[in-house]
Amino acid sequence: MRVALFVTCLVDLMRPKIGFAAIELLEAAGCTVVVPTRQTCCGQPAWNSGDRAAAAQLAKKVIAEFEGFEHVVAPSGSCADHIRNEYPVLLAGAPEWQARARALAPRVHELTDFLVRVARLERVPGCFAGRVTYHDSCAGLRRLGIKAQPRDLLARLPGIELQEMSGAEECCGFGGAFSLKFGEIAAAIAQRKCACACATGAAAIVGGDLGCLLNIEGKLRRMGDETTRVLHIAEVLTAK
Amino acid sequence: MESRAHRFQANAADSLANPVLQANLRTAKGKFVDKRAIALRELGEADAFEATREAARAVRDSVLGDIDLWLEKFEENAVARGAAVLWARDGAEICRLVAEIGRRHGVAKAVKSKSMLSEEAGLNLALEASGIRPVETDLGEYILQINRNEPPSHIIAPVVHKSLDEVADLFHSVHKTPRKTEIPALTREAREVLREHFLTAEMGISGGNFLIAETGSVALVTNEGNGRMVTTLPRVHVVITGIEKVIPTLEDLCLLMRLLPRSATGQSISNYVSVLTGVKRPDEHDGPEHLYFILVDNGRADVVGSEFRDMLRCIRCGACMNHCPVYQTIGGHAYGWVYPGPMGSVLTPLYTGIENAIDLPQAATLCNQCGVVCPVKIPLPDLLRKLREKQVERNLRPRFERGALKVWAWVARHPTLYGIGARLGVRYLKWLAGGKPSIAVLGTAPEWTKGRDFPAPEGRTFRELYARRRGKP
Amino acid sequence: MTRRADILGRIRAKLNRNPENATAGRAAIEETLAARVQGPRPPVDTEKSALVRRLIEKSLAQSSTVDTVASDAEAPAAVARYLAAQGLPLQAVVWPALAGLDWAGARLAVAARGARDADPVGITGCFCAIAETGTLMLCGAPDTPATVSLLPETHIALVPASRIVAGMEEGFALARTELGQLPRAVNFVSGPSRTGDIEQTIVLGAHGPYRVHLILLAQD
Repeated sequence: MRVALFVTCLVDLMRPKIGFAAIELLEAAGCTVVVPTRQTCCGQPAWNSGDRAAAAQLAKKVIAEFEGFEHVVAPSGSCADHIRNEYPVLLAGAPEWQARARALAPRVHELTDFLVRVARLERVPGCFAGRVTYHDSCAGLRRLGIKAQPRDLLARLPGIELQEMSGAEECCGFGGAFSLKFGEIAAAIAQRKCACACATGAAAIVGGDLGCLLNIEGKLRRMGDETTRVLHIAEVLTAK
Repeated sequence: MESRAHRFQANAADSLANPVLQANLRTAKGKFVDKRAIALRELGEADAFEATREAARAVRDSVLGDIDLWLEKFEENAVARGAAVLWARDGAEICRLVAEIGRRHGVAKAVKSKSMLSEEAGLNLALEASGIRPVETDLGEYILQINRNEPPSHIIAPVVHKSLDEVADLFHSVHKTPRKTEIPALTREAREVLREHFLTAEMGISGGNFLIAETGSVALVTNEGNGRMVTTLPRVHVVITGIEKVIPTLEDLCLLMRLLPRSATGQSISNYVSVLTGVKRPDEHDGPEHLYFILVDNGRADVVGSEFRDMLRCIRCGACMNHCPVYQTIGGHAYGWVYPGPMGSVLTPLYTGIENAIDLPQAATLCNQCGVVCPVKIPLPDLLRKLREKQVERNLRPRFERGALKVWAWVARHPTLYGIGARLGVRYLKWLAGGKPSIAVLGTAPEWTKGRDFPAPEGRTFRELYARRRGKP
Repeated sequence: MTRRADILGRIRAKLNRNPENATAGRAAIEETLAARVQGPRPPVDTEKSALVRRLIEKSLAQSSTVDTVASDAEAPAAVARYLAAQGLPLQAVVWPALAGLDWAGARLAVAARGARDADPVGITGCFCAIAETGTLMLCGAPDTPATVSLLPETHIALVPASRIVAGMEEGFALARTELGQLPRAVNFVSGPSRTGDIEQTIVLGAHGPYRVHLILLAQD
């Protein structure tokens, strides 16, 4: 299977190692991974801010860059959801592009969903032992149905102990631009998430969306917690 | 009610700093969320809630698609049973009509059961000004009224923000009775105080959960019994409700009654469901001699058929706010008007003007927990996003934000430039972190670093590292 | 222009209303009203004794109390027993429709009229009882006034087993068949009045009755 990696702007800027981990996992599943080099961002920040024109321009760029591939995989539920489910909506004013968006949509996947359901990865290449807890990111959970897939993959790591936190499915307070405009409210929501996560005694909080993870990590460090790790699931599944 | 939605940021800050409110919000969250989940399991196997709410959505949508005709049918059947049907375009007209009705019938006192529309209109103050004494009888609304007409903070639980101590102090000072310390005792005291008013009021004012077109009836859903008192004892009954509340048949009422109490309070059914039709017959002992429906527009007609029309399906259950991470954090008063939480963030701009409630649609993470629990499948995050779009179209966003977004979007379409900017940016941030894993103060994103650190980037972008690796033999 | 014409006019404009689609719309409305489609319903066992069991179970869950006697002949004694056990006076206001029962034989002083504020106990029958949720359906009429189940602190309801139905839909269907048009007030009552407004703590006895006692008439 020939797969294009949509690396996401946050991974590109903040945590490239997640991108490389995603490639390793896809290759372990027998895929040939291509990384279109001119990719930048799916445009979700523009769409959620109400800038339809900018969102449409970025959508067209992404469609043109990725529609030639059998599958497009992103290590992010919100980016995969935006491309798959929102592109056809935001391109309603451009029927030709809307058709191309609809054609691309079924081939766009979040990483763990792709590994479990499509590529049927058998063995995860990493080694990770210890107690972890999983944060279900909102778009991935509620719009793409990502719930069992990451847990399925984590369970294949010998030595891992998954302890669910209360409120695992509750929002962490990131919300993209929301956390830049309403910082105090976002921090208070993040505080609840961190408290629930730490109550599990987990050594690492794991998730599938870097925006959430940066938000949670930032709050933990401000709360004085320097030891609990905050990791993307791709990192955990490829840990050495 | 005058909107204070423009003060959202300040209101929210006050809420965050209020420890009593924060404690009450935590308690309320557990009760509302958990009880609803348990109650919904009664509907049947796994997909039962989805099937039931899809049926409810379809009923509401089919009415809204022909709402003018349905309103005429309701009116026809209500009038046939002796009711008068009046129409009000806005809050001022509601107040005028009620005052006129009061004058016509020599009303000195009106007992009220809950009506959010009367809050929209500021009816109580208008009644007082016209010499009619309004008495709220819903316990929560009564508490607010005697606390100098404090606004409600939730559409189902109006005083969710108040503690027992606050209520005890209030009753002690207003009723001039010995201070009680137990909730049952306070409830009993309220019962006794209000009983007198029920028995002597000439007019009862209620809202209407649903208007039933088939029979020209109003359905009232209550737990306390005040809804029944207000519509059984006084000789005049006025129903104030929005034009979007019509449903076709009694069967549709049964369907919606499976969703409304469960979604609102986690009850299988509310204590009292009253279906009221027409006026007292000459040989009956009780009931009003005069029944008036005031069907209210106040912004609703403009939403009909618009891109926001899904919002009119709302049955006022409050599930969205109960599950909203933002509402759970700041409570209802921060939203500044009658309706808080996700539904309030859509209705307040639509009914009071988009330019008067700029922050409300922005103060959401779009997590969609509200959409998932809504018993009539309103796509709340989509509506919030559409309101954000309207703000951009009308140039209501701060200039800096518009500019930054435009620049970013332009750069993102120019990958080479984007790559250069990105490489510089992450190196700068890495340097700012000074070897530490995160940055405590970030001048360019002060809202973020108010309450959190900003984790340091790795210092190189994925695109540059990938290009470098691919260059390797 | 009247307020009505203004509001309806604006709605019609938003809906692109014209004479053709108005005619079609009105026809569709009549069809909908005639069809009376029911929505999805939770499973309720409609076998007779199952309905009785469910009514009892759900009524208890709503904090009502339940007693069972064979028929309405035994009801006055059951009422007296209940009132004595509660330490309440043997005095009540009763639906005129039930005036014919032998209340005096059970030493109960009853007045067959609408209730007044001072009446401590109200005795009603019911139009029917809804097993699904443990709910009484009460239809107001000259001989079944609504105040009897509302004003007194104690409400006692006689429930013939033959009048227990599965859901609210069946209750409305009976009303259509037996009453023709809806009475002025149909009240569905599910237990004692309550409020949770103070600190989300449920308290029984808000403005309606503090206690509701059902007497099932098993053979009626």
